[in-house]
Amino acid sequence: MDETGLAPLLACDLDAHFEVLVVHFQDRLYRFALRLSSNTEDAEEITQDAFIKAYRALKTYPADRIKAMALRPWLYQIVLNVWKNRVRRKKLPRVEMDGEIVSPAEGPDRQAEATARGEEIMRALETLPGRLRAAVVLRHVEGLSYAEIASVLDQPVGTVKSNVHRGLGALREVRSLEVWT
Amino acid sequence: MTDPFDDIRDVSAPPTLLPGVLIALDLADRYLSLDVPIGRVYVAFNRNGISAVTQTPDAAEFEWSFRAQFGRPAFPVTEAPDALLADLHAALAGKKARLEFDLRGLSPFERAVLMKALEIPRGQIRPYAWIAREIGRPKAVRAVGTALAHNPIPLLIPCHRVVRSDGLIGNYGLGGPANKRTLLAWEGVALDPVRGHDRWKAHSV
Repeated sequence: MDETGLAPLLACDLDAHFEVLVVHFQDRLYRFALRLSSNTEDAEEITQDAFIKAYRALKTYPADRIKAMALRPWLYQIVLNVWKNRVRRKKLPRVEMDGEIVSPAEGPDRQAEATARGEEIMRALETLPGRLRAAVVLRHVEGLSYAEIASVLDQPVGTVKSNVHRGLGALREVRSLEVWT
Repeated sequence: MTDPFDDIRDVSAPPTLLPGVLIALDLADRYLSLDVPIGRVYVAFNRNGISAVTQTPDAAEFEWSFRAQFGRPAFPVTEAPDALLADLHAALAGKKARLEFDLRGLSPFERAVLMKALEIPRGQIRPYAWIAREIGRPKAVRAVGTALAHNPIPLLIPCHRVVRSDGLIGNYGLGGPANKRTLLAWEGVALDPVRGHDRWKAHSV
């Protein structure tokens, strides 16, 4: 089931409520796209494409189907697929992060420090193969349940758990060990 | 223990994302500004037609008031569509224009009142009672006044051409009676100076 209460609204009037869906999910889907692509411009394009695909799909679904949808994993899955297609199509070159990853509310010192740490973990994530990176990000950055990740990645829960575990293991080799216990 | 992922969790989508999605899907209201005899007005439109005309001090205030009234955002156009501009200017000059209007939020009665007001030619005026009679609700004169006062698209749906039967000019949503007088004078309606500023008489040309 959809935990946002949005599905019945979309089922009733998609055009009137689609903006609410975008507002509700844009930060987390953009963040996910950014973790996958490591580039703010690509991340924005991927997220925008994903929302457009979502709208076009919803447009073809009967109301009953929309009402019963689990929107969150479904949307993450669309982002993941858009990203995969782009990688396949363009073999995207890896581009430097431009560091917009810290809350502006933080003071400059804390922010600089957090940015440095954030960049460090970004680099570490970039070294992971795509399937491990997606699993780790969905679990530890996005906070999805194993069951939800299994549905996003279309894999058995056991495989997801093992990929998250292997991904974290690989990250530990890249980063200093003590914070990764 | 610190969560090592904390530092990359705090990310917001860029502000261009939402308008990008809604405009690509043709779900967005967009707006442009238009200079008319009563000053600058903002005109919002979407795929259903013109959705609002408002006079606000600036674009930011317009966006705020649009959202407050309709519960959805309006985004500025980067370049106003030529066909729309031509139709807007034609409509203001009293010429034939292919403008459509988005009146989705209104009741059938309100829509009937506004559609009837749309039939009043430039340079002419009608009393509220005329609209009431024409739409088959002769006793609903006051309700006609209320519907016109809530016209979301003043100027283009010319509620300023509807005046009181007793000769008073009546109120006007787009900036008050002074603007109503200015618009009627601009359109060639002579306002009778003998009977005071707020009175009118029909002007034949």
